Amino acid sequence: MEDVLVLKDLKTVQDIVHEYGPTLKFGHIPLVIDNGSYQCRVGWSVHDEPSLIFKNLIARPRKDRCKKDAEPPVTPPIQIGNDIINIEAVRFQLKSQFDKNVVTHFEVQEQVCDYIFSHLGIDSDGCIPHPIVMTEAFVTPNYSRQLMSELLFEAYGIPAVSYGVDSLFSFYRNDIGDTALIVNCGYHTIHIIPVIKGKVIEEHARRINLGGSEIVCYMHKLLQLKYPVHVNAITMSRIEEILHEHSSIALDYQEEIRKWANPDYYENNVIRVQLPFVQSTSSSGLTAEQQKERKKEMARRLLEINARKREERLAEDEEQLNQLLALQELIEDGDTDEFDEAIKGFDIKNYGDLQRQIGNLNMRIEKNKQRIAAAANAEETIETRPTGRFQPPTDPEAFQVWLNDTRAKYREVLVRREARRARRAAMVKRRTAAAAERMRAISRLAAAGDDFGYRDSDWDVYKSISREADSDSEADGERLVELEEALREHEPPQPSHHRHQLHLAIEPYRAPELMFQPSMMGNLEAGLTETMEYIFKHFSDEEQLLLANNVFITGGCSQFPGLKERLERELLEMRPFQSSHKVVMAKNPSLDAWYGARDFAGSNEFENFCMSKEEYYEMGGEYLKEHHASNKYYKSPAPIVDNTLAPAGDANVVKEEIVVDC
Amino acid sequence: MTGEIEKSHCFKVQNKFIVKSGCKKRMWRSLKQILTAERALPWPNDAVLYYSINAPPTFKPTKKYSDISGLPAPYVDRHSKLYYSNAEEFATVRSLPMDITAGYLQLRGANTIVG
Repeated sequence: MEDVLVLKDLKTVQDIVHEYGPTLKFGHIPLVIDNGSYQCRVGWSVHDEPSLIFKNLIARPRKDRCKKDAEPPVTPPIQIGNDIINIEAVRFQLKSQFDKNVVTHFEVQEQVCDYIFSHLGIDSDGCIPHPIVMTEAFVTPNYSRQLMSELLFEAYGIPAVSYGVDSLFSFYRNDIGDTALIVNCGYHTIHIIPVIKGKVIEEHARRINLGGSEIVCYMHKLLQLKYPVHVNAITMSRIEEILHEHSSIALDYQEEIRKWANPDYYENNVIRVQLPFVQSTSSSGLTAEQQKERKKEMARRLLEINARKREERLAEDEEQLNQLLALQELIEDGDTDEFDEAIKGFDIKNYGDLQRQIGNLNMRIEKNKQRIAAAANAEETIETRPTGRFQPPTDPEAFQVWLNDTRAKYREVLVRREARRARRAAMVKRRTAAAAERMRAISRLAAAGDDFGYRDSDWDVYKSISREADSDSEADGERLVELEEALREHEPPQPSHHRHQLHLAIEPYRAPELMFQPSMMGNLEAGLTETMEYIFKHFSDEEQLLLANNVFITGGCSQFPGLKERLERELLEMRPFQSSHKVVMAKNPSLDAWYGARDFAGSNEFENFCMSKEEYYEMGGEYLKEHHASNKYYKSPAPIVDNTLAPAGDANVVKEEIVVDC
Repeated sequence: MTGEIEKSHCFKVQNKFIVKSGCKKRMWRSLKQILTAERALPWPNDAVLYYSINAPPTFKPTKKYSDISGLPAPYVDRHSKLYYSNAEEFATVRSLPMDITAGYLQLRGANTIVG
C-alpha cells in the first residue's frame, strides 16, 4: 500500500553557446524558430534536432533597494529561458512576450531573440545572415506580425523571413494525407482546424481559449485549497511535474468519478505524493521521557545553586555579627579609646548605631535560616507531587486500552460541546425546537409556586434557558484541554513524512477534463467535443466523413494519456450510426511543429515563400508570403474616416431634447 | 537616441525595442486592445480574424461537481454557495473557513455576483 511518489524537482540545465562553424556561417542556412507560448525551439534547418529548447520566459529581478546610495544600485542580470535555474525563486518576476498565444510584448521578444542568437554563437557583424522560419499563432493579428517583422529586419538585419502556423507544420510533418481535422492543444488555446484537400478552411476553424497553463493553474489552486498547510510547498513546477507524469484523461469522466466515490477504490488507487519536509527539531534524538528527565535535572541544579547562595550569605552575616559583638564587648569593658579606634573600620558612628546594626543582622540571619528550611521542605514536596491526572499504565496492552479510553472520552466531551453549541445557536433563532423549549421553560418558571428552590436541581432550569456559556461547559472545556494534553503527550506520534503527503484521487483526471468541460472553471465556451460537433455541422456529409476519418491531434498538451481513446469515444457518440472515424496522434506532439518547419526550410520551394527585405519595405510589416502551412494574408484596410461626426448641423444626426423637471 | 546606435550584441543592427533602464518604457498593447483596434477596421466580409474563430458558447447544460471532492454534486450549500455531494461533505463544507470557500468559488468562476 505504501506506494509513495517522490517528486523529482528537476532543475534546468543552462544552455551552452553552440559552435558557429564556417558551414553555417557562410552557407546561408535557414534558421528555424518554433516560437511557442510554452517553449521556444530553435535550430538550423540542416540539423536533425533543435539546438535550443527553453521555456519562453524571462525573469527580470528587481533592483536591490536595501543598498545605500553610496554605490549605484547594481542591476542584477536578466535571466532568460534556461538561465533560470530555480523558477520558483523568481516566480513573481517572470515575464513572457505572449498574451494568450499571440506575441504582444516585443521588448521581451527582443531579449529572447538576443538570447537565441547569442547562444547559437552567431558572431557576424551587424546582421544575422540567415533567412528565418518563424511560427506564429493561427490567424495572428496583423499588428503583431508587423512588429515581429520590424524587430527581425530592423534590429537583426535578417535577409528574409517566412511565417507559418505550428499545427499546420506538425500536420504536414506527419504526412497523413491532405484532408484532416487538426486538433492542436497548446499552452493557452486549443485550435480545431479543418483542412480539406490541402486547403485550410479558416472560416470554420475554431479556437477554445484554454490550454495547458489553465490546467496547471487549476490543479495548483485545487491542491492549495485542499492542503492549506502546504501552500508554499505546492509550487507550479511541482504541479507541472505531476500533470506531466501522473495525469491522464478519463475515457468516461462520469464513470471515473463514480468509481472514486467508493472508499475501497479510493484506498487502492489514490496516488500519494511526498512533499519534501524537514524533520521537526523537537524530536532531536531525544524521547519525551529523556526530555522530562533533563528538565527535572535542570530544576534541581537551580535549586542547589540558590541554596548554596543562601548559605554563603548566612555565613557572611554571621561573621559580621561576631565582629560587631566583639566591638560591643569592648565598650562594655569600658575601653572607649580602643572602641573609637575599632569603629573606624566599620561604618558606625556611635554605640546606638552599633546596637541597631546588630539587631538588623540578627533579623536577617533568622530570615535566611527560615528560607533554607522552607526550600528543603519544598524539594521534598516536588519529589512527591503527582505529575498529572492522566498517568498511563506502563504495560503496553493496558496502555493501548487506556489510550483508546482516553480518546473515547475526548470525543465524548467534544460531541457534548458541539451539541451544546448547536442548541445555543438554535436558541438564538426563532421558530426552532430549541427556542420553543426555552420559552416553555421560562413560562413554567414564571408559574412556579413557592416551593421553587427546595431541591437543588430546581436551579438547573436557569442553565437550560441561559444563552450564555454556562458553568457546565467551562468544566467540560477544562476537561477537554486536560484530555487533549494527555493525548498529545502519550499518543504515538504519526511519522512526520505522512503529514507532508498529498493524496491525489480525482484531481489528476479533473484538471485535464477542463478541455472537455471548460464550465468547471467558469469558462462558458463549449468544450472540445461540442466545438468539434459544431464544426462538423458546417460541412457536407462527404466532407464530414473525410474529416472524421482523419482527426489529427498535436500540441504539447495533447500528451495526456487517454486523449486519443477519449476522442474516439466522443466521435463514436457524435457521428452517425455505423459511420467510420479515426484519430491519429502526432509522432512527437511537442516537437513535430519544429520538425515540420525544418523540412519546409530545407525544401526546394523555400526561397519562393520567403519575404525578403525589399518586400518588407515595399509591402509593410504585416505582409506575409502565403504557403501551405501559413496563415492567409488579409491586408489591413484603411481605418474609416468618420465624416459624419464632423459637421455639427448634419441632418442625419438625430437630436434628442431632454427636459429636466426641477 | 542621439546619433550613436545602441546595441548589446555584435550581430545586431540596433536595439529596436529594448530601452535602457530609467528611460520611459513603451507601453505595449495587450491582446485585447489589439483585437479591439482590429475590429474597428472595415474588413472585407471574407476576412477571418482572431476574434471571429472563438469557440461557440456551450449549449449543453453544465454538470455540477462537488467543489471539494469533484464527485457529482446534487446539492448546494445555501450559506457558502459551494456544491457538495453527501452529508459527510456537507459537514466539511460547513467547517471550512471563509478564505477557503472563497477560493473554491473563485476557482469555479462563481465569485462574481452576476451570473
